[in-house]
Amino acid sequence: MLAVEAFRATDPVTYQESWSTDSIVAVTDGAYRRAYLGSLQLSLTTAVIGAVLGLALAVAVLGARRGRLLRRLVLTASGVLANFGGIPLAFAFIATIGGQAGVLTVLLRDFGVGLGGFSLYSMSGLTVVYLYFLVPLMVLTIVPALEGLRPQWREASDNLGATGWQYWRYVGGPVLAPPVIGATMLLFASSFAAYATARALVGSSVPLVTLQIADALSSNVLVGSENLGKALALGMVALIGVVMVFYTWVQRRTQRWLQ
Amino acid sequence: MTTTPDRPAGVEALRDTPGVGVQLVGLTRRYGDVLALDGLDLDIAGGEFLALLGPSGCGKTTALRAIAGFERPDDGQVLVDGRDVTGTPPAKRDMGMVFQAYSLFPNLTVAENVGYGLQVRRRPAKERKARAAELLELVGLAANAGRYPHQLSGGQQQRVALARALAVAPKVLLLDEPLSALDAQVRVQLREEIRRIQLELGITTVFVTHDQAEALSVADRVGVLRAGRLEQVASPDELYERPATAFVAEFVGTMNRIPATRTEGGVELMGVRRPAVGDVPVSGDVVALVRPESLLVRADAAGAGRVVTRTFSGASTRLAVALPDGAEVVVDVASADSQQLTPGTAVTVTPAERPVLVGAV
Amino acid sequence: MTATLPTTVAPETGRRPRRRGAGAWRVVTLAVLGLYFLVPIAASVWYSSRSNGALTAEFYTGIPSAPGFAEAFGRSLVLAVLTVVLSLLLMLPTMVLVDLRLPRLRPTVEILTLLPLVLPPIALVVGVRSVLAWAPDYFYGTPLAEAFFALQEPSLPWILVLVYVVLALPFVYRALDAGIRSVDLRTLTEAARSLGASWPRVLVGVVLPVLRTSVLNAAFLTLALVLGEYTIASILGFQTFPTWIVEVSGSQPQLSVSVSVLSLVVTWGLLLLISALDRRRAGKDS
Repeated sequence: MLAVEAFRATDPVTYQESWSTDSIVAVTDGAYRRAYLGSLQLSLTTAVIGAVLGLALAVAVLGARRGRLLRRLVLTASGVLANFGGIPLAFAFIATIGGQAGVLTVLLRDFGVGLGGFSLYSMSGLTVVYLYFLVPLMVLTIVPALEGLRPQWREASDNLGATGWQYWRYVGGPVLAPPVIGATMLLFASSFAAYATARALVGSSVPLVTLQIADALSSNVLVGSENLGKALALGMVALIGVVMVFYTWVQRRTQRWLQ
Repeated sequence: MTTTPDRPAGVEALRDTPGVGVQLVGLTRRYGDVLALDGLDLDIAGGEFLALLGPSGCGKTTALRAIAGFERPDDGQVLVDGRDVTGTPPAKRDMGMVFQAYSLFPNLTVAENVGYGLQVRRRPAKERKARAAELLELVGLAANAGRYPHQLSGGQQQRVALARALAVAPKVLLLDEPLSALDAQVRVQLREEIRRIQLELGITTVFVTHDQAEALSVADRVGVLRAGRLEQVASPDELYERPATAFVAEFVGTMNRIPATRTEGGVELMGVRRPAVGDVPVSGDVVALVRPESLLVRADAAGAGRVVTRTFSGASTRLAVALPDGAEVVVDVASADSQQLTPGTAVTVTPAERPVLVGAV
Repeated sequence: MTATLPTTVAPETGRRPRRRGAGAWRVVTLAVLGLYFLVPIAASVWYSSRSNGALTAEFYTGIPSAPGFAEAFGRSLVLAVLTVVLSLLLMLPTMVLVDLRLPRLRPTVEILTLLPLVLPPIALVVGVRSVLAWAPDYFYGTPLAEAFFALQEPSLPWILVLVYVVLALPFVYRALDAGIRSVDLRTLTEAARSLGASWPRVLVGVVLPVLRTSVLNAAFLTLALVLGEYTIASILGFQTFPTWIVEVSGSQPQLSVSVSVLSLVVTWGLLLLISALDRRRAGKDS
């Protein structure tokens, strides 16, 4: 445990104290402010879309007619793809729709369909790529909650004369809301922290905090910007910290219900 | 209490409404190769408490779910009060169902759970509250109205589920093994309470269980199901004393299977002859089905039987006796008469002088 | 000869009738998302198996001999094995001890070990760099500085092992926790102790075999994690398998894609193996 503690103590949180607030001030405006906003925008978009698609997929799989096989297939695939972030993912997408040589790009062009100005190396490109590991992550985190929805609740509701809509309005929705919100926050944190995929895809062309930190550390921009990197990282940790506190609070409520 | 003319409300109304009859006509349901219901016919009188008893997989739950509307039968009809409801969705059947366990809505308080049926019927909050309070009073949980299901014990949860099912003043009360997830003691207590409430309200009730003691103790009539068919529907006494088939005989209560020979006009077992009842071949080897209390045992130094175990249970004592052919029978004797019948004692066992039920080997 | 009724028969499970017409959106959802997930993989395979329009396996057969591959992949593998060993040595005794002797510490350990899951690796690496910077700044000329430099030896950067142990903690914890929760370790060890086994013997002879599957599980997850980790290695400036892929992508795009496909296949294989092991264990238990 000592090794763990040592690393904990070295987090920028404690390290930051001995510096002035200059760096902190610096990261709240200009290019860095843009990077935070960019990261927030990307994380929020991907988290919400990923949550919606992941939830739809999980519901579709759990309710499918020939459930067993499909279910195992999707869950295993989700387990793999949720971990399939980083470098290989970026290259898979480059091979698919990257530039003019992407397989899908070429294929669509042969059919006379253009990608309509869509570029993989942009914010919307990153969104599409991030969803590739965020949707499976959503499936993995939300399936236990969906399985916790007991069929008896639905039947009791039907039996008491409720419509399907009423069931979701009064029971299903309220019971599922906390885990869905919690999972969305997990997706947000995961998207916010992602670095490798973005680096391999867009270099520094899209403003993202993680890319800015890396640049600041490698002093691509100006000499002595290491402190700036630390301040940026501190900001990230603080943001994630807020999200996690909220997440734990939501989880606590859920676990009480889904015992 | 607010009462609207179209739907009588509240415990009072339930009390004043006579129970309605339910008929199952040729109900058939098939899952793949398995026939869960095989042309089931059953007449349940208004206000009757009927238990459906049978081993796992006999179709009893399927039958109950067909009445509730959760199962659509492949063939046959469900009639309530003479009207065909086979195609009616569950939500429109006006039935109250209590599930095995975990059916309470976890995000709603006890009172909100009980009031749910009224909420979805858009009744005013005041009425919902009043009705919930009244029903919780009925099941003895008035003090727990504001708690959440996860704060209650299993037995309390089932009481709330019962109150919730009754809150909509259902035509029929359906109980799907409501006690099977509870401790033995709570189980006995709650089944008596369910019976008390049922009698008080006079509501037609169908109670599914695999526990014969449970079925016999609370029901007006018990239907024994086997492989989707009714073996027998009768009062508990009749079921026990005059089982229609060997299956019923063995399923209800404890039964000794004793090798016997069918003879002219009777059956020969343990060296004596008794009149025979039951649907069996006219001659040859059969099995005699004899209850433990229908065997007589007495200490006899020359007897061929040996007492193996002696289990005291208050007024009566159960003895396991090994017979010379290696078989074992159980015999119930009055405890007062059994003190000298300790394990190892040589005894003679004879069937009581009454007709003996026989079955095929 | 007696037939007494069993009173604890498993209840029948009812089946819900299907609502009609609800299947269409399911099919559409599955089809669209299935396509989304399959297309990039299929495209990658296609892309990495063509050369001038002809089918070829050269980008796969060429991987082992590609310049730098053996070195980078070998290094990653060594790092992975070291990480697995170190994190198991750290977590297994800790968790068994907490379970048996210090159950009150359980929530604390849980929070500590799950923390790296939400800590962005890039923030972690910032901290690590700061510490490493102490060596030349504060400890220059002391043995401590020597130790720090040794940690950063490019051929085998131990510092990466240390950081990866931290990153792997949540996965190792979850895998081991699942195993520990599924058996009653306390009863097992008490039984072994009452039969006269010594503590070390209990650990090696009872605890380890019981937790075998979850230990394997933890090892596989850690392996996959280390083989795919890019952020920390690249910022600290070490060459590992992922940084090598990025490096070759400029000159040999198809090679980088073929390696990516392979690494996906390997991860998939590892995880399938884990789920197969889990299922076998579940089958044995029931």
